[in-house]
Amino acid sequence: MTATKSLRAGGRVQAAIPIVLLIGLVILIGVLQPSFLTADTLLVVMADTATLFILAAGITFVVMLGGIDLSIQAVASLSSVLVAIWLGRIGYWAFPATLLVGFITGAFSGVVHVRLRIPSFIVTLATSGLVAAAALLLSQERSITIGEAGRAYLSWITGRPFGVPSVIFIGALVACAGIWLQCYTPFGRYSAAIGAGEAATWASGVKVNRQKVIAYSLSAGLAALAGILLTGRLSSGSPTLANELLLPAIAAVVVGGTSITGGAGGIGRTVIGALIISVVRVGMTFVGVDIFAQQIVFGAVLILAVAITIDRTKILIVK
Amino acid sequence: MEPRKVPPSADSGTPQIRSPELGGRNAKLSLNRLKRYAPFFALIALSLLIGAMNPRFFEFNNLIRVANSASIPLVLSLGMTFVILLGSIDLSVEGVLAIGAVLISLLVRNNGNGFDLGWSAVVLAILACSGIGFLNGAIHVGLRIPSFMVTLGMWFIGVGVATLILGGSTVRVLDKGIRSIALDRPMGFFPIAVWVALGALGITWVIERQTRIGRYIYAIGGGEDLAALSGIPVKRVKIIVFMIAGTLYGLGGLLSAAQLGQGNALIGSGRLFSTVTAVVVGGTALTGGEGGVLNTLVGVMIMAVLGNGMVLLGISPDVQQGVQGVLIIVAVALSLDRARLKIVK
Repeated sequence: MTATKSLRAGGRVQAAIPIVLLIGLVILIGVLQPSFLTADTLLVVMADTATLFILAAGITFVVMLGGIDLSIQAVASLSSVLVAIWLGRIGYWAFPATLLVGFITGAFSGVVHVRLRIPSFIVTLATSGLVAAAALLLSQERSITIGEAGRAYLSWITGRPFGVPSVIFIGALVACAGIWLQCYTPFGRYSAAIGAGEAATWASGVKVNRQKVIAYSLSAGLAALAGILLTGRLSSGSPTLANELLLPAIAAVVVGGTSITGGAGGIGRTVIGALIISVVRVGMTFVGVDIFAQQIVFGAVLILAVAITIDRTKILIVK
Repeated sequence: MEPRKVPPSADSGTPQIRSPELGGRNAKLSLNRLKRYAPFFALIALSLLIGAMNPRFFEFNNLIRVANSASIPLVLSLGMTFVILLGSIDLSVEGVLAIGAVLISLLVRNNGNGFDLGWSAVVLAILACSGIGFLNGAIHVGLRIPSFMVTLGMWFIGVGVATLILGGSTVRVLDKGIRSIALDRPMGFFPIAVWVALGALGITWVIERQTRIGRYIYAIGGGEDLAALSGIPVKRVKIIVFMIAGTLYGLGGLLSAAQLGQGNALIGSGRLFSTVTAVVVGGTALTGGEGGVLNTLVGVMIMAVLGNGMVLLGISPDVQQGVQGVLIIVAVALSLDRARLKIVK
């Protein structure tokens, strides 16, 4: 009894660490650079966070299950190419069509993963190869600028209702939907259960494979949404658009406190994690760290965060 | 086939720690043997097929071209082979290779700075790459973090460091000795790079077959808990394996810098994917303990022949990445012994 109690208390403390870290970072940067704490700057930071968060939200469910998705950056890039090509031809239909393609690639990864029983990181690595090849072929290795006519369709992404960039609303919407999925649907409960103990969940009659396919579809679908938002903000699609985003997205999930071994965590934590990553990035830019060198920091942060959040009792042999 | 008393691991082919059921189940044995040689037959069939569609495939110069295009993938895949034999994975190939190539091109005679260290630059750079491999292994076993997470982080750290020391630009290699690795063809035969790759193959083969480390690698891949209980220094072996991998990626960096005549941070782009594909297509199982460097040679040749064939048949190189994606899934699906895997993460 006391053991579980202290465990729970420990979990609560661990869940609070990211929030404290976020507040500390914001205050630190605010002191060093007072202009950071103005409403305008904070809105820009949150708008930048929105796309990263949507990417990270998708993988959150996959990580909760105990898997990983290494194909999101390729899916996001492909959807930017698709939107750029389709906007001029089918107008608003380009968005649902692109999202559908995203869901299908995710469902493909999921089905291959559960049917052929291939480890998820290999399947999604292979999917990312397929998807990247498709993006390169469709775009003929060029970035595609969206013309005046096409930009009219993008106003829902670039607009600023009530003076707030609309991507922030979209990000908030995804967060609410994610939290609802996680707390109030069987899928959310099953995801956590599968991550906590797959064999036991399976034995209690949960259709584990179906939940996994849903999780991978959701991950790629949200990656497609993130790709669409990026395309809207840049007014162009490119086959390598999101290539730098895989690592920050995984880092956001793990830094937020979702354990890479699965079972613990959630969308709410990923919101905090994504904000931390964004604030760290802004902070590094203020200090003058090279944009490429930032990858070094993210790589180190990822390893460190995994080391802290991993549940070592669950994996007896670490491969 | 005559019944055999000894399990086949003792004398022939790929050593297998988990030998198939002992005793005289010939059908099962020969099926296993067939499965083991399947990649080799696939290579021959593929070559004949491409040769039939375009006879220029078998021209002497084209075969040399195939060998040349296989040299860098072979060196990288040999490093990856041992890691995968352990049941782990190393995603840091591109980062380590970039650091190796950038260090070499900055320390030999180049158009960016005044250094002219010649071959000692090569030694320094490859040692640095061994060091990164050591870090990979040490973090993996020290902090008990899955290897794909450690090396995922290290991949981006490597590319970041390479970008940082180069300032985001590209530097041209002016050192004649380095360039000759890719350009000189002793006796009008293979370029030196191919000989370097074959040398690496020989050394890793000796490590695999003739040293204790080699046996330990198979033991750990076959069953880590048993290996640890029988007194094998699991942690030390793992760190050594990641170091060997880092060293070979550094060698791959040397060959890349020689081939392109320059160093830049993105020199390794796309290498991770083709490396893992080659190892797996060759028949080394991702679960560890099965396969080896000769499998990897076959896997690399399949990829090289396929790449060359697609060029000969006029297929866009963009498709190649997609084909690799399909190949990797097919190969893993065929090789996995799914009876052993209850839970796949």
